[in-house]
Amino acid sequence: MKKLSLLGLGLGMMASLGFTAEMASAQSTLDIVKQRGHLRCQVGTPAPGFYQLDEKGDWYGSDVAICRAVAAAIFDDPSKVEFQSVTSAVRFTAMANGESDVLSRTTTWTLFRDTQLGLDFTAVNFYDGQGFMVDKDLGVSSALELKGATVCVLTGTTTELNLTDFSRSNDLAIEPVVFEDSNVRDDTFAKGGCDAITNDKSSLASTRAKFPDASKYVVLPETISKEPLGPVVRQNDSQWMDIVKWTVFALVQAEEMGIDSTNILDMAANPSTPEMARMLGTEGDLNKGLGLEKDWVVRIIKHVGNYGEVYEEYMGTKGEFAIGIPRDGSPNALWTNGGLMYSPPFR
Amino acid sequence: MTNLDASSSEVIFQPKPSLPPPPNTVGAIGWIRKNLFSSPLNAFLTILSLYVIWVVVSNTFEWAIVNAVWEANSRRECLDKVGLSGACWAGVSHWMKNFIYGRYPDEEVWRINLGFGTLILWMLPFWLPRVTSKIAIGASAILISPFLLGYLFAGGEKGLFLQVMVSVAITSFVFCWAHTVSSMVTGKSLWASIVQASGFAAKPEATQKYPVFAAFLVVFAVAFTWQSSWNITSQSTNLWGGLFVTLVISGIGIAVSLPAGIVLALGRRSKMPVIRVFCVSFIELFRSVPLITVLFMAVTMVPLFLPEAINPVKIVQAIIAVCIFSSAYMAETVRGGLQAIPKGQYEAAQALGLNYWKMMTLIVMPQALKLMIPNIVGSFIGLLKDTTLVSIVGLYDLLLMLKAVSQNPQWNGIHTEPLVFGASLYFVLCFIMSKYSQHLERTLGAGQVRK
Repeated sequence: MKKLSLLGLGLGMMASLGFTAEMASAQSTLDIVKQRGHLRCQVGTPAPGFYQLDEKGDWYGSDVAICRAVAAAIFDDPSKVEFQSVTSAVRFTAMANGESDVLSRTTTWTLFRDTQLGLDFTAVNFYDGQGFMVDKDLGVSSALELKGATVCVLTGTTTELNLTDFSRSNDLAIEPVVFEDSNVRDDTFAKGGCDAITNDKSSLASTRAKFPDASKYVVLPETISKEPLGPVVRQNDSQWMDIVKWTVFALVQAEEMGIDSTNILDMAANPSTPEMARMLGTEGDLNKGLGLEKDWVVRIIKHVGNYGEVYEEYMGTKGEFAIGIPRDGSPNALWTNGGLMYSPPFR
Repeated sequence: MTNLDASSSEVIFQPKPSLPPPPNTVGAIGWIRKNLFSSPLNAFLTILSLYVIWVVVSNTFEWAIVNAVWEANSRRECLDKVGLSGACWAGVSHWMKNFIYGRYPDEEVWRINLGFGTLILWMLPFWLPRVTSKIAIGASAILISPFLLGYLFAGGEKGLFLQVMVSVAITSFVFCWAHTVSSMVTGKSLWASIVQASGFAAKPEATQKYPVFAAFLVVFAVAFTWQSSWNITSQSTNLWGGLFVTLVISGIGIAVSLPAGIVLALGRRSKMPVIRVFCVSFIELFRSVPLITVLFMAVTMVPLFLPEAINPVKIVQAIIAVCIFSSAYMAETVRGGLQAIPKGQYEAAQALGLNYWKMMTLIVMPQALKLMIPNIVGSFIGLLKDTTLVSIVGLYDLLLMLKAVSQNPQWNGIHTEPLVFGASLYFVLCFIMSKYSQHLERTLGAGQVRK
């Protein structure tokens, strides 16, 4: 009898422990973030344009802006973000163990990653693609002319795999020269250690800016891979996924409607179309399903700007820290300008 | 036989004064001929080495000094001036603050300086002459100062426990220095000075501790009221970085690993099976896995097993991992030293009637630790350098900060200069440690020198 009651006590304790554990995990990410008072956003070790440290030690960049936008939507304060910078080797573990709420760091959306890592991709905020850069003196104008060329490439990423795939399918017999550190790769290339260099086109642009004579090098027109990059959240929390996804859409939609950080308050006061009124929260209650305040889009645009502003500031050609990738004609232009940036309607 | 004197006076052998050695066998020329050009092969090797040294030194000198750019606002400016032929030290000097303090806010950097300044002052009596109870001073610096320093670095709200510990730390610091001054000026310990000043010197010995306790309580009360008025903002450990983080991690690792290693080594030689098995498995487990694995486990895997409500702090996890790892190594170093002590020493100590702890602290450890100094300092130096691995789990230590510069658009691609700077910084730190260990060996081993 005594044994039985002890067993019962033990079972009861285990059950109650299990119950509290379930309670804890049932709490949504939004509640956790609100309770904590700041968002935890994972970026990588500095990469030009996307996430970088300035001299003061602050993070900035286009992927950083996404996190600031989410923080602005929740707290009306883009500074309520703690940036966690981890190497790409542990990026998915740091999401899985709950360390980060959102991962916003040049992560390519692939079927494998979307389905097998316990993660959900939300939306695309930058369309990248792998390309080649060569010395103009080489006299090459297309990647298909790189027969038998030595190509400098970083190891441990899909870049290397894409290169061998491209070489095999076009029968080019490209000889890869593999590097671990991008700076060493670039030095080798600059000293003529390889004929061409391959990487995502966004980083080729900043690699080019490293060289003493940048105009000597040219990026070839071919794009040999699709690299849609965007923020990622943990699986099975659709509300949180919706918040991040629609934050990205709000940035794009605002640009399409001509709303930017300078005119947002006027627009919110006198919306010119019914859809704008719904989006900015002056009409209807679109915010309800997201669990955010009515003016969440106003907060985002007020603090961060629209997609175009973010792009020009960090990736484009206008901002002080921009890395100089032209937007016109690229997939990152709005769909109205022939690009792929397209937001579902706000209604 | 008798005429010996006479004959010797007739023919006196006068050796000629010896000629000076041929000029090409003495002095600098002689040394060079003998050591550098003794054979055609050696001559060839000498010329080759001289050429290699000349090329390396002259090119380095030209790159690092002659062609270097010291003032610029971006790498482009450097490149426009000298291209790749000269170093762009401007990038290093612009980022110096980040290399040293990480992302810590500018206006709060004084807290880090104050913390490390306090620690140095705390340890200073250790090297002053005529100061007694150095072990107590060192122990208080290692055990109590982390509370004060940790609070200075992290800031924010402090609970009652932390308030008490911070006050205890301030009081200990004051007492350490009062004792130092007292023993340097009067040659008496602080205890004796307080007893004398309070007039308890004539009273029975058992009551002499009361004035000392009273003094401690008074200082503690003052410290407690003083520190409760402090209001320093909270700085997330996420902002810690650079040399600061390197020193915090390796400093704590060093301070923990030596005592923990000694305990583990004694445990491994213990006759009690549970303790022995535990120590052996701990040491063997953590010695057989790489540090990076331990770090990964501690930083990314452990949170998977914890409930969501618990948010472990990354730097604390990393510090625990480093401490565990270095303790396991230190244990084996200490065990090596223990085994070098002849069995006769143990037996003699037991024959004198000393118990285990007295035997260890009075007879064995002082001899063993002296023998182990080179190995222990070797481990410490290794630990200081190993802490760069924390950059892989995303702590912005010195190495990661040095690497971050090259990704900044203003300093795009500058990577040799920061790394050279970091290497020199590490060299200075490690060289100081190594020289200090040699100094310790000389002073502690003075009795063993055969004359």
